[in-house]
Amino acid sequence: MTDPQPTRLPTVAELTVATPEGVVFRLPLAGPAARLYAMLLDTAIVLAAVNGLGWVVYAIFAKAPGFGVMVITLAEFAIGFAYAALLEGFWNGQTVGKRLLHLRVIDQTGLPLRVEQAWVRNLMRVFDALPFAYLFGGISVLSSPLMQRFGDRVAGTLVVRETPLAPPAEEFWTRQKYNSFLDFPAIAMRLRRAATPELASLIQDALRRRNELAPYARREIFRELATYLQNEIAPFPDELVEMLSDEQYLINAAGALFGDQRLSRIQR
Amino acid sequence: MILDLERFQAQARPRWSALESLLTVLEDRPSRRLNLAETEQLQELYAHTATDLNRVTHGALAPDLRQYLERLVARAYAELYYAPPTRSEIWQPRRWLRFFTAFPEAFRRQSRYFTLAVLITALGCALGGLAVRYDPAAVDVLLPADYLRNPGQRINEETKGQNRHSNSAQMEAAFSAALITHNIQVALLAAALGVTFGIGTALLLFENGVLLGAVAVRYTQQGFGLFVTAWLLPHGAFEIPSILIAGQAGFYLARLLLRRREDRDMRRAMHEWLLLIGGLAMMLVWAGMMEAFFSQHHEPVLPYGFKVAVGAAELGLLTVYLLLVGQRKTAAEEQVSGPSESK
Repeated sequence: MTDPQPTRLPTVAELTVATPEGVVFRLPLAGPAARLYAMLLDTAIVLAAVNGLGWVVYAIFAKAPGFGVMVITLAEFAIGFAYAALLEGFWNGQTVGKRLLHLRVIDQTGLPLRVEQAWVRNLMRVFDALPFAYLFGGISVLSSPLMQRFGDRVAGTLVVRETPLAPPAEEFWTRQKYNSFLDFPAIAMRLRRAATPELASLIQDALRRRNELAPYARREIFRELATYLQNEIAPFPDELVEMLSDEQYLINAAGALFGDQRLSRIQR
Repeated sequence: MILDLERFQAQARPRWSALESLLTVLEDRPSRRLNLAETEQLQELYAHTATDLNRVTHGALAPDLRQYLERLVARAYAELYYAPPTRSEIWQPRRWLRFFTAFPEAFRRQSRYFTLAVLITALGCALGGLAVRYDPAAVDVLLPADYLRNPGQRINEETKGQNRHSNSAQMEAAFSAALITHNIQVALLAAALGVTFGIGTALLLFENGVLLGAVAVRYTQQGFGLFVTAWLLPHGAFEIPSILIAGQAGFYLARLLLRRREDRDMRRAMHEWLLLIGGLAMMLVWAGMMEAFFSQHHEPVLPYGFKVAVGAAELGLLTVYLLLVGQRKTAAEEQVSGPSESK
């Protein structure tokens, strides 16, 4: 895949959708761990519901516990299958567990899933859960480029991650009043050309999280990055670099990479 | 190339937030239907945002912004291109009742997979029966449970347990629920095993057939033929066909997965598979009730002849239901087979 930009996602897997208008967008797929947690949550909810129902049923059938057992057995079975299928079908691909973990089941074309797909993928669970602890389903997820368990393969669905996103705020390094790197437009241009998207977002991430890092790690990471940039990518004059801390060096580099790229500002 | 990302964001942000709030409104609406003005607005905002996304993807180094826009475009795309079922489509009892005719129709449409399931089970039956008939040593292997090996002892226990059974409708109720859930689970597994390209389904049916054949021959050999028929037929009349239908669903799924991806009509296929599953689940509910409430009562209470007659009547009704209820031929099939055959 020729992807011009890096993905800052813990999982590499993603669904790429090309719309009829020629727009391409990607959706990050949910990994097995998140799906497992969602399933455990849902299981807890179903168990709680069945147990709650159990109290009511036993109270009603106090004189005839056998019928109570019958009602409860059937209800447990029905709830077990219908819980996920109904919720996913009518709640746009989410169960309670999936909603809490920001997961959603969608059609593999990027559209919402249909009711029959929800049923098929949840009935196929009996196979995915085999031979124990969802082994078949897990193998299927790990071997599928779209992270589908067998139920998903049959129903043509997949699970995406939907962590809420806000539009990115303005970053402080694009607002610097004065960036000494821009006094050397040729070298700044070289930095911009040579920096790979991965490297650029690495710098951005390092700066963004600088307050979360331990002082020692912060110093080390910034030193390594700055040395690498200076030695391998864009050698700014030594007399300038010597005056800057590694952190300031990276802030300037980020400003040159992500900031206003019009020449007027550079020539100022 | 976006030269000034900040300015670009500042200019575009209003339409992004407009799209976001419109989407939030639409997604929270239960019917998820748009009116004309909303559709136009959504379409316009979607087009603009999609253009913004294209510009960011190809002309700027802004992974976060790209992700944000991708998410927005994906949500708008889903709203624009997906027609959710309307409320009236879902809450129509007549549509729900359609199921009772749609199930036999689906059964007949896919009858060749049913034939395959019957053949495999029959093969298993023949093998199991012949093995027990000609090789007494096979009994230990094929009939693992003690009660299956020694019919006399079992029947003794069964008839002795008569009083216990007849007085406890409650036990029977609990028993029926256990039977129903267990049987549906097994049937569902047979249908789901279609993803193993039918191999798992075939093995399950075959094993089932072997057991059936072995038990039938063993009991008949020892002179309990009538007893076992009276014992098993009242629920077997529904249970065995429903396992066969589960096999049918499994083979149907297998055939579907063996087709080329572009030749599959997944939507119709899923509907068909679900119809078969729903139908057999319905049959198994009946079978479970019969097994618990009726089959367990033996001679003095219920004469064997009566039980066999009930079982035969059930089988007859089921055959009539599966073969005659609903449209005889679907419109699609008429087109395929030509008008000359349709009358």
